[in-house]
This record gives sequence, C-alpha cells and structure tokens, in this order.
Amino acid sequence: MFRMSRVLTAATASALLMIGTQSYAQTKLTAEMAMAAARAVQAYAEKDGSNPSTVVLDADGNIVLQLKGNNAAPHNIGLAERKAYTANLFKMKSIEWRDATMPGKDRASERQMPKVVPLGGGVPIMVGNQVIGGVGVSGTRGGQEGDTAGAQAGADAAAALAQRPVAQN
Amino acid sequence: MEKLIRGVALIAFAAFVAGAGYGLVQQMVKISTLQSLNNNDISVEQALLVAQGAIDACKKKDNSLISVAVVDRNGLVRFLLRGDGASPEMADNARRKAYTARTFRQDVSKWMERTAIDAKDEKGKPIDLNGQQYLENTITEPGGVPIVRYADAIGGVGVTGAKGGPMADEACAQAGADAIADQLL
Repeated sequence: MFRMSRVLTAATASALLMIGTQSYAQTKLTAEMAMAAARAVQAYAEKDGSNPSTVVLDADGNIVLQLKGNNAAPHNIGLAERKAYTANLFKMKSIEWRDATMPGKDRASERQMPKVVPLGGGVPIMVGNQVIGGVGVSGTRGGQEGDTAGAQAGADAAAALAQRPVAQN
Repeated sequence: MEKLIRGVALIAFAAFVAGAGYGLVQQMVKISTLQSLNNNDISVEQALLVAQGAIDACKKKDNSLISVAVVDRNGLVRFLLRGDGASPEMADNARRKAYTARTFRQDVSKWMERTAIDAKDEKGKPIDLNGQQYLENTITEPGGVPIVRYADAIGGVGVTGAKGGPMADEACAQAGADAIADQLL
C-alpha cells in the first residue's frame, strides 16, 4: 500500500512536471504566408495605381520577405521594415501606436525605442489572438491610411493561410 | 524701289529663319548631351516571376525550402524571401550571391573559376583577379546568376538552401532567370 502510494505520487509529480515544462505552440510565419502577403499588397497597389515597398517580419522581428517597389524612394524599404517591426512589437497597427504615443501622452517615451516608427503602414499578422509577425508597407497613394490598408490586405492574406486546416500526421 | 524693299525683307526673313534654326539646333544639341540616364532595371513584377521560378524548380526537384534574393541593376535588394527554417544569415548569403552575379555579370561559379588564385586564360596566362574575391558583398559560393537583357545586366538572382548544395542552388537560380528570359525585350 505504501509502495503503491509512492508510485502514484511519483506519477503525479512527473505529470505535473511535464505540464510545467511543456513547450508552447506558436503558429510560425512561413515563407508561403509571406509570399501571399506580398502578392496581396501588390494587388492592392495595382488598384491603387502605386508602387509600394513591402516588408514581412516573423514574430522575432526578423525579415522573412522584402520587396522594393518600382522607382521606390531610397527610404521606402527601410521605413516599411520599421513599420512592420512596430506593429509586431506592440501587437497593434502602427497607426494606432502612433496615436497612443503622441507627445505629451504617458506612452510618448516608447517612441525612443530603436527601430520603431510612429507612422501608419504597419499591421500585425493575427492568428486568433496570437501575433505571428508583421507587414509593413510604404509608398501607396493614400498616405499613412493607404499604407495601412495595403498592409492590412497583406496581413489578412497571410493569416488566411495560417488558419487553413493542416493534415495531421 | 518696291522690289528693293521686298528683296531686303526677304533677306531679313531668311536671316531670321537661319538664325532661329541655328539656335534651335544648338539647343537640341545641348539637350541631347545633358540628358539624364534612363537605364533599364528589373521590375517588381519580373522579380516575383524570377523568385517563383526558382522556388518552383527547387520544390519540384527535391522539395527544398530555399531562400531567394533578387537584386536590381544597382545591386540593391529588389526581392528577398527567407525560406522556412533558414536563418537571416542564410537569406543574406542569397543576396550576396545575387549581388556577385549582377556586378560581375556572370554565374558565381564561373566567376569563382576566373578569380581562383591559380586561374589561367585560354593561352595559359595567369588571370590574377583573385583580389575580386575580397570585395565587399561578394561571396565565393555558387548559387547566383545574372539577369541579362541585351548584354546588359539589369539584376541578379541568388539562392541558398537547396538540398543538393551550392551547385543545386545555382541550378534553381538559373531556372528563376529563365522564367523571364523570353520577356526581356
């Protein structure tokens, strides 16, 4: 009886340990999703009649895809990356973060962090309530609102692929 | 008298026309010599076709998940895609392969042969171009090919991560360049 209870205790303890050290499941941003995002931004740009630059980052903030628009201004591609970085880091559209960190507000000093930019055009890629990356767009016709709309089209296209049912092995 | 006046007027008119013509020609010469450059460059649409061509070729061959870079005529990134599981450094190597192919206007493998320390030309004379391998942004690993339009390199494509190694990278890059070969008019 004593032995039995000891075994049970050990089993319970190891079960608890396993739960405690379990790795968490995070949807990874794939190259395919990034490609779909870039194509969606291009489709938006075609309707818009503009030549934007696009950057897609993964959840770690590393570049997965980079596309420099035709006749893009030299700053475009770097700006697109910073917008994507901002959206991924703060898990919100960079245009919303811009408004939340206006000078005089409590969060204003967040603007002094490296690589962020308080400009619209960055949108997080959401799968459920998980952020798996960010899309940044620079150089559409509609200014910061236009860039945001283009990036949103890209983020939606990427998220749509992530939510696609995957065959289980 | 009237004839004389008409004659003088005619001469004056001819002189004016000649002067104006000369001025116009001079202005045209000036404009033509002061023209800004209008170079051909690889477009977003072409870059996407090239990249997709390389990705498809590698996937078809042995299901490789590659990183692809397409650089423009200035050697700057037009398109970059980091393959699944590849590190940022691997993606940057694809860019360097594309850059090397663009700037030396030949396949990276050919350039490596030409710039090898003991490289010799057809007559057996040493080429002595090994110093090129020390230039910034170049890379001594095959996997890059130039995108050429009428003997003018308008870009380059580089690949890393093919299962068969660097020469397989270069085969995929070539497939990418071939995807727009007939459209480069």
